[in-house]
Amino acid sequence: MWDLLARSLGASTIFLFAALGELVNQRSGVLNVGLEGLMLFGGTAAFITAQTTGSYPLGFLAGLTIGGLLGLAHGFFSITLRGDQVVSGMGLWILSFGLTTYLGSAYTGPLGLARIPSLMGLSPFFLVGVALVAITWLLIFRTSLGLAIRSAGENPAAAEASGISVVAIRYLCVTVGGVLAGLSGATYTLSYNPVWNYNFLMGWGFVSLALVFFSMWNPWILLAGASLFGIMWQLSLSPELVLPGVLSRYVWRTVPFAITIPILVVISTPWFRTRWGLAKPEALGRPYAKG
Amino acid sequence: MRLGRYELTLEPRPAVSAVYTVLTAVVAILLALALSSFLFLSADASLLGAYRAVFSYAFFNPRGILATVQRAIYLLFCTYAFLVPLRAGLWNIGLPGQVFAGALAAFAVPFVLRAQEQTLALPPGLLILLMVAAAAAAGAMLGGFAGLLRARLQVNEILVTMMLNSILFWLVAYMIKEGGPFMGATAEGEGFTLPAPLTAPLLRGVPFTAALALGAAVLLDLLFAKTALGYRIRAFGENPAAARYGGISPVALSLLVFLLGGAFAGLAGYHAFTAVPGVYKIPGNYGFYGDLAFYGIISALIARGSAVGAVPIAVLFAGLSLGARFAQGALHLPFGVDYALLGLLMMTFIASHALYQFRLAWRRVPSEVLQPAPTELPEG
Repeated sequence: MWDLLARSLGASTIFLFAALGELVNQRSGVLNVGLEGLMLFGGTAAFITAQTTGSYPLGFLAGLTIGGLLGLAHGFFSITLRGDQVVSGMGLWILSFGLTTYLGSAYTGPLGLARIPSLMGLSPFFLVGVALVAITWLLIFRTSLGLAIRSAGENPAAAEASGISVVAIRYLCVTVGGVLAGLSGATYTLSYNPVWNYNFLMGWGFVSLALVFFSMWNPWILLAGASLFGIMWQLSLSPELVLPGVLSRYVWRTVPFAITIPILVVISTPWFRTRWGLAKPEALGRPYAKG
Repeated sequence: MRLGRYELTLEPRPAVSAVYTVLTAVVAILLALALSSFLFLSADASLLGAYRAVFSYAFFNPRGILATVQRAIYLLFCTYAFLVPLRAGLWNIGLPGQVFAGALAAFAVPFVLRAQEQTLALPPGLLILLMVAAAAAAGAMLGGFAGLLRARLQVNEILVTMMLNSILFWLVAYMIKEGGPFMGATAEGEGFTLPAPLTAPLLRGVPFTAALALGAAVLLDLLFAKTALGYRIRAFGENPAAARYGGISPVALSLLVFLLGGAFAGLAGYHAFTAVPGVYKIPGNYGFYGDLAFYGIISALIARGSAVGAVPIAVLFAGLSLGARFAQGALHLPFGVDYALLGLLMMTFIASHALYQFRLAWRRVPSEVLQPAPTELPEG
């Protein structure tokens, strides 16, 4: 039981890192729907680097760097060029999906390094994730930088008028978001499941994106959501632990995705929106042009 | 950015001419092809030889041409499936899921009627018609579900369609693998083979779906250019708020474009698995067809919403993706050249999109602006 829970929290960590980055992104008003792409590219870069150099730190460094660079690319398109953020995000995703399939194909298979030590089965990255949640919460709600980020996402014109550089804040946030997405991908390929396979994420990034909406842009709720989905994900991979012999294992694989849709529906109802949904950044997805 | 007495700025392009639109599309494709030369660096042949291998197989080899046509039909249906909602400003990235739904529905017809083992209960022509209708309906239902949620509750259509992709991917696995209902009698992990009379009729090796695909291109462009409905869809896509004030109902429109788009993706699923000689079943690597569907996204984007304009693009992409696979085997390239090309096309599209929307303006800064303006207020 503990093994399963520990493994589930390991899965939660992947969701958590990526979603936390996207949360910071969205708090500043930038939507990046290409999260899965950033994770794929970061994870692949980390895997290839770690395997060729035999060093985990270098692998993580590569993953974080690639994630950050892709985040910056999204920033350039959506902040400087004020382009459609969905076009850019989707573009980054398909770009990463295509290129990583090619670049990584020679590395298909296990990583072949000694596993990163765990704490009684629990991934140390989960603790990093919890710490990052606390830091992000403090940053967003208790510092002046956080106030600047939130105001850039709510009302950029007012933020600019109060002396905040919306462009700088948003660039900072997309880069941080990209780095965290890269970290998520790297944690997947180096720790959670160190076997490279084409399109290894198969929807993790999009579930993470949905988690940001579920969290109502609050890091603590995000932690709860990510933990829940990690458990659900792990159960869908090994349903025989709970309900042996009931339904095909393939049917169980659909469960995390199938649950996501009704949750999305509930949080989109007018009732929920008026009751809870006030946290959505007002300027989310809208480019800002300095007046 | 200011350079001496000149200022360099990005400014929106006011109106874009048709010639410029075509030009950006061509440049985006050529640039992606040029960038793909990096992929060929590890090839056993010269760069020119690698390109020749791709193109000669796709467009000059008799077998290759047929395969290109077959794949182009598939990509065209996928293109329309993405293009119709895009004209209304919505993103249908549920192509793989809708393709799988269409395939499952098409195979459900002979399955339900027990036609795969005994003599046919109905004339094959009617059964084929039923299969086409079932595929389109299943795709439309899946698309319509996302469209309805979007229309009624503003649920993000990208997330919903993406979740549906994963759900359908695993459902197909359930249906055709490990004793699933559609599992073939002999092969492990594959769907049952369609009986010969139920395969799509071919004319010189080309199935009737080709006529559907080409006819749809013309009809779609007429719809958008000449009808009130097409106008409403475009108006809604360009400015939803203004369209609402103009009396256009966003709910009906969002639902409609997703139903239509989903139906096209369902047809793509019908075509891929029942009309291509040598397939005629849901193969174990069905996921590849789902990945391939994303070429539909990029061709609709590069064609900028024109269905007829997408025809040559889809044919080119069909040939390129097939030729790349062929060259990969012939020249000992790593797996996934066709995937890499998809990524490169997306990259150059985004770059060209920026150039399409903006231009670099280079103008002299008037000298009086450079002088510091008086900061003190005049007295009084």
